[in-house]
Amino acid sequence: ADHNWRFANLYSRGSAFGEVYESLAKNIETMSNGRIKVQVLYSGEGVGTTGILGAVKSGLITMGAPFQSMHAGELPAGIVEIGLPGGTDDATELTTLFQEKGWAPILKEAYGSQGLVWLDPYIQPAVYVLTKKPIKSIEDFKGLKIRAPGAYGKFLRNLGASPVSLAWGEIYTSLSTGVIDGSIGSNMIDHRDGNHVEVAKYMYPLPLAGAQVLPIIVNRNAWSKLSPDLQAIVSAATTVHAREQLTKSKLWESQAVAEMEAKGLQWSPAPSDADKAAWQSAGAGLWDEYAKSDKYSAELIEVLRKEAN
Amino acid sequence: MIETAIRRYCLTIHALVAFVGKSISYLMPVLAFVVAFEVFSRYFLNQPTIWAYDLSLFIFGYIAALGGAYAQQQRAHINVDILYNKVSPRMRSLFNIISFCLAIFFVAIICKMSIGKFEEALEFNYRRQSEWAPHMHHYWVMMAVASFMLGLQLSSDLLEEGFHLLTGKQLLPDSVRNIEETPHD
Amino acid sequence: MISIELLTGVLLLCILVTFALGAPVGLGLGGIAMAVGYITWGDGLFNVIPTTLEATHFSFILLAIPLYIYMGQLLTRSGIGDAMFNASQMLIGRVRGSLAISVIIVCSMIGAMVGIIGAGIMTSGSIALRPMLERGYNKRLALGVIMAGGGLGILIPPSIPMIMFASATQNSVGRMFIAALVPALITIVLLITYVVIACKLDHSKAPLDKVPDVAPTLKEKWFTARDGLLSLLLIVAVLGSIIMGVATPTESGAIGVVGAICLAVLFKRFKPRMVRNAGMQAALLVSVAMWIIFGATVFSNFHLLMGVQNMVASFTQDLGLSPMMVIIMFQLIMLLLGFIIDEFIIVLMCAPIFTPIAVSLGFDPIWFGILMILNIEIAVQTPPYGFALFYLKGIAPPGITMLDIYKSVTPFVLIKLLVLIICMCFPDMVMWLPNKIMG
Ligand code: NA
Ligand code: NA
Repeated sequence: ADHNWRFANLYSRGSAFGEVYESLAKNIETMSNGRIKVQVLYSGEGVGTTGILGAVKSGLITMGAPFQSMHAGELPAGIVEIGLPGGTDDATELTTLFQEKGWAPILKEAYGSQGLVWLDPYIQPAVYVLTKKPIKSIEDFKGLKIRAPGAYGKFLRNLGASPVSLAWGEIYTSLSTGVIDGSIGSNMIDHRDGNHVEVAKYMYPLPLAGAQVLPIIVNRNAWSKLSPDLQAIVSAATTVHAREQLTKSKLWESQAVAEMEAKGLQWSPAPSDADKAAWQSAGAGLWDEYAKSDKYSAELIEVLRKEAN
Repeated sequence: MIETAIRRYCLTIHALVAFVGKSISYLMPVLAFVVAFEVFSRYFLNQPTIWAYDLSLFIFGYIAALGGAYAQQQRAHINVDILYNKVSPRMRSLFNIISFCLAIFFVAIICKMSIGKFEEALEFNYRRQSEWAPHMHHYWVMMAVASFMLGLQLSSDLLEEGFHLLTGKQLLPDSVRNIEETPHD
Repeated sequence: MISIELLTGVLLLCILVTFALGAPVGLGLGGIAMAVGYITWGDGLFNVIPTTLEATHFSFILLAIPLYIYMGQLLTRSGIGDAMFNASQMLIGRVRGSLAISVIIVCSMIGAMVGIIGAGIMTSGSIALRPMLERGYNKRLALGVIMAGGGLGILIPPSIPMIMFASATQNSVGRMFIAALVPALITIVLLITYVVIACKLDHSKAPLDKVPDVAPTLKEKWFTARDGLLSLLLIVAVLGSIIMGVATPTESGAIGVVGAICLAVLFKRFKPRMVRNAGMQAALLVSVAMWIIFGATVFSNFHLLMGVQNMVASFTQDLGLSPMMVIIMFQLIMLLLGFIIDEFIIVLMCAPIFTPIAVSLGFDPIWFGILMILNIEIAVQTPPYGFALFYLKGIAPPGITMLDIYKSVTPFVLIKLLVLIICMCFPDMVMWLPNKIMG
């Protein structure tokens, strides 16, 4: 092959999402007639999830599917991009936001400022919080210790909960012994894979973020070595990948929920209108704070504000 | 003449490295206290801190990295000493020279990359991804210093081994490697 | 481009050469990776350093290592550790090898506190190695007992590799924790049996306690018993803090540190000098352990970026063996991988590649997972390259060579191999308890 690429993604080998990244890699190889060869690396295979952004930036990895929450300290705009708590879950609305309302060019510039090429983003399912006790009203969040990093932690603090920082490997033990009362997962599939339902049964029906938008990024030097037709091929493959993520992740999410329900997952009672309103305002309260973190975040939130008015 | 200069160079490095190595050991109780405080604050006050997680990891990283040079000075880094123990002392010096060159190559790369990351951290205002979001730049400075000091110590050890290989004599007194080891105190 | 098979061979050769030269393990592995990487990949590979540094120094799981080492150092320097063994000697001192038996039991309790190998071995080694050596135990027996007992940390729940396995293969963590209990118990019983028999056959392995000229007074006995009970209480407190949900297994090390200091005050053994010296020794050990972990991770990250996982995956695809032979083959591959990579990477790499195959052949994934954990315990203890060996060398007193350590592990590795074979041949040993409890 003319170009040997390494493509690191945020999931461990064996996770359901793995095959979607494998098929993106295959598509690039097939569509480029083998001129680009892509080796897929799962989390921990040379680079952990927290290192993807830095590794693509430095060129250690050519292409990456990072999880922006892990890079909040390196590229704050990614936190707004992935979806602040309380955001929409409507795929069409999100596509418009990115393609027509102006998020895409801002993000291209934000990632570009760090030597990264930002390709078509894709949508992954919502973030939910799992608790050991049922949440009957939003008041019940008061005083609960919930493992929730970054923006989600701040959101839960606005509801009166106490966010806790824990290593992923300790969530299960901590839920079972009661070090924490609940935990968010990056999505339903994550909750299932972590077996958290064995030790905490109640899922709160309102998602912390309706949908998560994740980017595919490429090292700029590697990108500029591609001829324009190869660049177009990689872009086209990521577009196909985005579609595949949307359909497959919906399917997998419902499978994960069904599996967890079979293991005893229960939903906390449906929230009242007052609860929903409190939930919404806890999220909106974060806009100002995140707008302050850097200029790209400010620009992204400016677009959101225009929309809201 | 040259011998004295080399000896002075080595002893200076030994003193510096020993000072830093002993100083960072005071971070051990601090580390335990920070983690214990988080447990206390979370369990008894129901107020998990936002800083203990990252702070404990920073302290951990500082102890781990900065102690490397002192461990090299005390020859405490683990090695497989099967063949090593069987060869003559001068052969052992030759072995060490090869090993230490490899090690210097490694730590030089660490130092170079850490300086690069430090500049990057300043340029892009890198922080930890947590809510507390402390700066990352000092960590990379520390890594550059830690690897540089390890390199210095290795260079001193190289001179020592080279001297021994050529002359068959010790360059430094044995006392530079004697950790005060009193188990019952 | 160099093929991954050839690269693996070259790397293995380089490891053997640097080990033979007696190079520091961590720095040597890092140096090899950088040198071979520079030739095959170019200076772009150097960028693996910053991400690997962040991944090792900012791993909260590894934080158990400094906390537990410090606790171990405080316990041994304040004499609290000795108090525990003195009391146990008062009870069973007339049995030959009794101290080694107490050590195995204490190690099992430490295994129930920690979730990773390093913390288990370094804590057990800090507390229990010196009492055995001082009483004239054969050093190989003493070292082997520490290694075998300290390694139980990943077999007795909580266990980080088990959580990683369960997550990578979408299996129940709780089920796995319970499934590990019978194999753990078998291991402990076999270890104790071995110690008893070995000491009976060879009296030089473990001398009997000397009968003191003057029999201890009732008061002295009472003090021994009291101190022993109090130090046992510390272990109970640390375990309790995990079970009661006060602290995570990582954080519980800090509880142990605070508890050890409190006990030292209570025993009137608290001196600032003691805390300082414990800190100094602990910091040195932490640094030694972390430079090994860092160098080894740089090495395995390079190997993984070059695609060693694909080599393992493609090798396992076209085996054409009978189901049980496949399982045995997997065990052999993992033991071989233990030559060059650590416990986490083995799980990370092998769990997702091997488990689906094992399941498709009709085996229970939990059973297979327990086999993997048992296997890893062996892999990290087998020469020449094994993290457990390096940790033990770090904690051992100066006169002990790597050869002593290599020789000391042999009978204990054989015992663990026996447990592995028992669990392989009689799956009920693993599956009976979880099926009984969880249905
Ligand atoms: Na354990
Ligand atoms: Na091994």
